[in-house]
Amino acid sequence: MTAGTSRHDEFERVAMPHSRSLLRVARHLLSNQPAAEDLVQDTLLRAWRGFDQFQTGTNAKAWLFRIMFNAFHAQRRGTRSRALLVSLDHAGAEVDQSGGDGLGLSDAAAVSQALGSLSPEHRAVLFLGVVEGFTCREIAGILSIPIGTVMSRLSRARQALRERLAPADSSRRARSALCSEREARELP
Amino acid sequence: MNCRDITRLAPLYITGELEVERAAEFDAHLRTCSSCIEEVERQARADARLREVILAQEYDATEVDRRVRGLIAAEAKGHQLPRFERGWRRWTAVVAGFAAALVLLLVAYLSLGAHFPRVYADAATDHRLEVVEHQPRHWLTDPEQIALLAEEQAIAPAVLDRIASGNYRLVRGKLCYLDRRIFLHLVFSDGTREFSLYLRPRDAKGWPSGPVREIANRRPLCTVDFDTNHVASVETPEILAFLATDQSADAVLTLARFVAAVL
Repeated sequence: MTAGTSRHDEFERVAMPHSRSLLRVARHLLSNQPAAEDLVQDTLLRAWRGFDQFQTGTNAKAWLFRIMFNAFHAQRRGTRSRALLVSLDHAGAEVDQSGGDGLGLSDAAAVSQALGSLSPEHRAVLFLGVVEGFTCREIAGILSIPIGTVMSRLSRARQALRERLAPADSSRRARSALCSEREARELP
Repeated sequence: MNCRDITRLAPLYITGELEVERAAEFDAHLRTCSSCIEEVERQARADARLREVILAQEYDATEVDRRVRGLIAAEAKGHQLPRFERGWRRWTAVVAGFAAALVLLLVAYLSLGAHFPRVYADAATDHRLEVVEHQPRHWLTDPEQIALLAEEQAIAPAVLDRIASGNYRLVRGKLCYLDRRIFLHLVFSDGTREFSLYLRPRDAKGWPSGPVREIANRRPLCTVDFDTNHVASVETPEILAFLATDQSADAVLTLARFVAAVL
């Protein structure tokens, strides 16, 4: 086996399995699917070109996300006037509406809308911490910010998400109560 | 530890990053403060629900994986791929061309009086630098290698053959970036002048197009003129094509009609 082949195999084993996670976060950072795919493509190509610098045994997923956020920030700097906020038309499948967590996360569309209205900074920490399961320390490394900033952003992001979802949840509860009342009146 | 500390340290507590001693203090406070324990539990449930909602959505990375593997394979074969860099090194390398491009863009902007998607301006600049001014680039000239490169970009080599079946001959090809997206850049010649054809598989949501000039072969044909360079676009359900020439507005229109007919 040549050195090139083994490097290639190692990259396939270490980096490529994370493309879906990268795309998931990119899709919520950027305004559309093609832009998100391009960001992930760019991330993986950068990773491939710098793969010699990757230390085997360290956290490859965190390394890839760090590359992706560097690329993302470079794009934002290069396109200051362009809106990079996520569009609200990719809410995804409906999930069960059990709610009951006090946050009103009762359907996917509402959550996607609420996420889309957060700042990219808040969205980033929320996705990295809550969805991708990175620790605060890892997020600090990925975003190149102090851990204290990660903690405060996470708290504010969670709070902001709750605030954005609360009105929708209240109105849904009100609608539900109204329906129940109407059904009760219509019952024989 | 008080309620304010709990709020501040909750992110570390939830991820299990609090030191053992601090975690014990955190637990001790929760045992005595019903509002804090309620808040932390509510947050943990909310996190779990958020995770559930996001992970239930479909994120298919198959296409990205395919593109990345294709590009890596192309690099391994010695093809020089474009770098997605905006650093000072890239700027210094193209500083002269950039200044000219600015003037070109300003002229185009003033003459159009309206915005047009950036990809048209990028195509005009790229054509001027790489085809008109012949700035040194690593081009493929072997038709078989170009066809292979097209295939790696999910573009059927038959498309190249159809375009080359007219009065045009495929001269060279490589990959390039237009508006931050990778395109296959092909240069065709009619024996006297060269024109650029930029191809890319059509994205699911399409592409912001320029002003539609006409419908050719049931395909919208858009044109944008930039001083001495002229760009046209043709979109099919599978492919997005941009053409650039330094000949004339009529020339790019003729080319675009031909491409719309054979694509």
